[in-house]
Order: sequence, then structure tokens, then C-alpha cells
Amino acid sequence: MQETMILGIETSCDETAAAIVCNGRRILSNVINSQIDIHRQFGGVVPEVASRKHVENIALVVEEAFSQAGLTQRDIQAVAVTNRPGLIGALLVGVSFAKSYAYASQKPLIAVNHLQGHIYANFLEHDNIAFPAICLVVSGGHTSLLYMSEPGRMEIIGETRDDAAGEAFDKVARFLKLGYPGGPAVQKAAEQGEAGRMVLPRVFLDRNDYEFSFSGLKTAAMNEWKKIERRGGASVYDMAAEFQSALVEVLVEKTIRAAAHYHAKSILMAGGVAANGALRTLMGQRSRDEGYEIYYPSLGLCTDNAAMIAGCAYNAYRLGQFAPLDLNAYPAARSL
Amino acid sequence: MRILAIDSATPVAGVALLNDGILLKEEFSNYKKTHSETLMPMVDRVLRECECTVNDVDALAVTIGPGSFTGLRIGLALVKGLALATGIPVVGVSTLEVIAFNIYDSDALVCPLLNARKGEVYCAFYQAGGIKPVSLADMRACSPEEFVQQALTIMDANNKTSLILLGDGFSPYQEFFLERLGDKMVSAPPHLMLPRASALAQLAADRVNNGQFDNVFTLSPVYIRLSEAEYRLGRGAV
Ligand SMILES: [Zn+2]
Repeated sequence: MQETMILGIETSCDETAAAIVCNGRRILSNVINSQIDIHRQFGGVVPEVASRKHVENIALVVEEAFSQAGLTQRDIQAVAVTNRPGLIGALLVGVSFAKSYAYASQKPLIAVNHLQGHIYANFLEHDNIAFPAICLVVSGGHTSLLYMSEPGRMEIIGETRDDAAGEAFDKVARFLKLGYPGGPAVQKAAEQGEAGRMVLPRVFLDRNDYEFSFSGLKTAAMNEWKKIERRGGASVYDMAAEFQSALVEVLVEKTIRAAAHYHAKSILMAGGVAANGALRTLMGQRSRDEGYEIYYPSLGLCTDNAAMIAGCAYNAYRLGQFAPLDLNAYPAARSL
Repeated sequence: MRILAIDSATPVAGVALLNDGILLKEEFSNYKKTHSETLMPMVDRVLRECECTVNDVDALAVTIGPGSFTGLRIGLALVKGLALATGIPVVGVSTLEVIAFNIYDSDALVCPLLNARKGEVYCAFYQAGGIKPVSLADMRACSPEEFVQQALTIMDANNKTSLILLGDGFSPYQEFFLERLGDKMVSAPPHLMLPRASALAQLAADRVNNGQFDNVFTLSPVYIRLSEAEYRLGRGAV
């Protein structure tokens, strides 16, 4: 069988990443230049700073992906790049680089939707995922529920109206002075506290749709904390635990409702927040209770990476779905 | 020796191919379309119409700033992609020097200006007595008034009686410049007003001949300005 090696490039947020994946399955290299340390001082990802780092690092990261795979440009069959959704200035660096790289090496170019990439991370690691499936993509940049009728076919059925879940983690962690990135920081603090000692709203849980809103939850957490902090004696760990529970419960319940409505066989999680322990535990419990198979990628493939992009592009490669030289980048996911 | 020059530092997108000192083809576009859509097809057209491929190119030239942050990154990322795929060496040239090169053999002080928004211009000062522009002061971002004061000081110090203003930073402050500089000032005609990829290619040619290439891995845009967030943080570039 002819082996298809695809170079994937990912610059949609704050990770400059390149990877080479064989036949949409075998990861030959997966290089991620993380900017976490740079954005930590700002308490969140600064788009202009992220874009500057991408253009500085992109060539190095791609070179490293080849060197770790032990391959050269001649060994690959196609170049894949994330062109939506994400920070527009950041996406443009990857798209511009990938277009010229593909052009100069005379390989076809494949545009990949970042959300599909995240979901594909599950297929890099798991076989025989049963369809239809409901996918929850949840990270610092997105919170989306998707319905997947068959492999490669998906539609967004709900999204956040304001902040992404990971963004809410970041903002609350910063407010509570727990550290950056917020997800792991809140999770760690929550482990030492107890949810329910203070009460935060489960925003949108009463609504019969798949939309989310985390800006309100974030504000409620901040207001509540200001109030009880003045009274004294309150534990920041309890606040972290309650905030995490309020956020996770809404994510899980809406996902389970969607799975029931769409008669799903599987539930797939993806994105950086899918690495959250509380989310994994509760989603796992509820899925088992309701009889759905639950999948999520290993920690390293949850956060932004290019292996998921290179893997996801394999299907498009087989179908000959290639992108033109005037390929652009777009901040929104649009239709999948 | 073929040099492929690529410029997207300002609203202008330009690509040129220079072969042994002869300009073979140049595309220039100052029409509202995004560089990410126009630039790569432009590169393809220039090469194909000159019956060559990227692999026939001996060096790549790119404007590295100042200019639009996004525009600079689109151009540089594109050039890095070409260079990494082919091993062709890269030369980065100042956008202001490229614009200054529209003027030569002139006694006037040549002042390329770019619209830096927020009431400022990116500016530089060149002597254009010979073929190549010679820089007289460091480029910077400043208000039009600060630019005028510096220009007058440099004119005095270099016994110059006139100055030529050009670049897309001229027209937003045209009336102000006229008022402050009067008939000392001339602005460039439209065909010499904006950066030309052909000028970029020729400026790069000297550096190529001297083997003064940039490192494709570390080459970064010259933004002059920090990002807003860095300013607010009140510290140096990260
Ligand atoms: Zn992501």
C-alpha cells in the first residue's frame, strides 16, 4: 500500500505547530512551540504577540518536524494547514507559509478546519468509533457541540455565545490569582476545595438548546468572590471547585441531551479543556449511565497540535479536495 | 542570477523578477484585496510568464518593515515557505529604503513616510545624490510634527534646500506638510509614490552579490512598535 505522508501546520492560536502523519494515523513527528510562558505575563493570549511569535518560529518548527520524522520535503505527499477558525492574524502566518511551501515543493495544499482537527485527534488514537456521534470541542478558543453523522461529516449544533470555556477558566484563574493557563490552575485549586459551599449559576442549562454562555458565569464568580472575600473566611479553593462544577455540569448535561436527541452511539471530546479531570470524570459517568461510548484524546493531543491537522487532511487527500493558491484564513468556523 | 522580490508591507502588493540586472516582470497592485489572497497567485504569474519555476530563482527578497503588521507577516511567512522548501537564500530589506529608492541623483532630502495610524508616520531620511539611497538617520515612528522638525534639522546639517516626501504616509497629512514646509517640499508623482518590488529586487541584488543573506529561521519583521499589550505592560519587547 502506498504510504501517504502529510505535513500539517497549525497556527490558529498561541501554539506554532508542525507535524507529519502517515495515512492519517501514524504520527511520525509532532512539534509544538508553545507560547504559554510569553502569554502568561498578559494573563491570556494576546493576538498580536502570538502572530509575531508564529512568524519568528514557523520555519524552525517545520524543519524540526521533518528532522524528528527523519524525512525530507521529497517524502511528503501533501501540505495541510488550519485556515479557520482562530485568531485571524495568527492563522494568516500558517496559511501564507503553507501555501508557498506547498507551491515550491509542488505538493497539493489542503485546508483544514481547526474544529475538525480537534475532533480528529480521537481518530488518531481510537479505532471503531461508532456513529452517529456527538462531539464537544472545548478549549481556550472554542466551545462547540457538533453532530457527526458519519466520519468526516459534521455540523455545528451549538456554540458559546460569548467566552470560550477555556477563556472563562483563564479569566477566573487570573482574578483569583491562581496562575496561567487557567484550566490546569483552577483544576488544581478545585482539588483542595469543595463545590457547593458557595453557589454559582448553571448558565443556559434551563434552555432547550445547545448554546453556551460562560461570560455570565465568570462575572457571577467574580462578584460572588468579591462579596464573600469582604466577609472573610472564604476559601479560594471552594470557589475554584464551584466554578469548575458550574462550568463542567453545563457542558456535560448539554452534551448528553444532544446525544439523546441525535440518537448518538458515541460521545467525543476534544480541545484543551477536554484535558480537565473533572470534565472527563463527569462526562465518563454520565455517558456510561446513559449507554454512550465516550472517547477523548490523550492529554498531548487535546491541546492545539498539528498532528490532528495532518491526520484530518488524509481524507481530503484521498478525495482530492485541494485548496487553491488564493486560499484565505477566516476567524469563524462557518459551516463544516 | 535571478532575484524574486515580494512586498506586502503596505496596502500595496508587489512581486518582481530581476535577472542579471534586467527587470523581467513586475506586478503591482494597490487595489483593495487581501494580500493573503493576491500575493501567492501573483508570485505564480510572475514566474510562469517568465517561463521559470521557484527552483530557477537564486535569491528571494522581502520587505521586512516597517509597515502593516499583518502585511509584513504575510510576506515574510510566504518567503520563508519558499525558502525552506527550496533552500534559496533570503534577503530582507527595509520598506522605507525601498520607497526611498524611487528617487535617485537628487540633491533633495528624500523622506519616505508610511501611514503608521494613531496620528503617526514611520519615517526615515535619505541622501539620494547617487544611485542608491544613503540613510542619514534611524527610522522611527513619530507624529508628523516631530517628523517635520527632524527633517528641517537634517536639511540644515546637510546643506539641503529641498525635500521629497513619498510613501503612503504622505497623503493623510498632505495639507499639514504643505503648511509647515511650503515650497521646500515636493511630493513624488503617483508612479514613484509607493514601494515597488522592482526596487526591492535591485536593492537586494547588492546584498546577494556580497553574500549578505539573512537567516531564514530567525528573520523577523521590523515592526518599530511594540504590540499594544506590551506597551500596556510597560516593558520591552518580549
Ligand atoms: Zn484549538
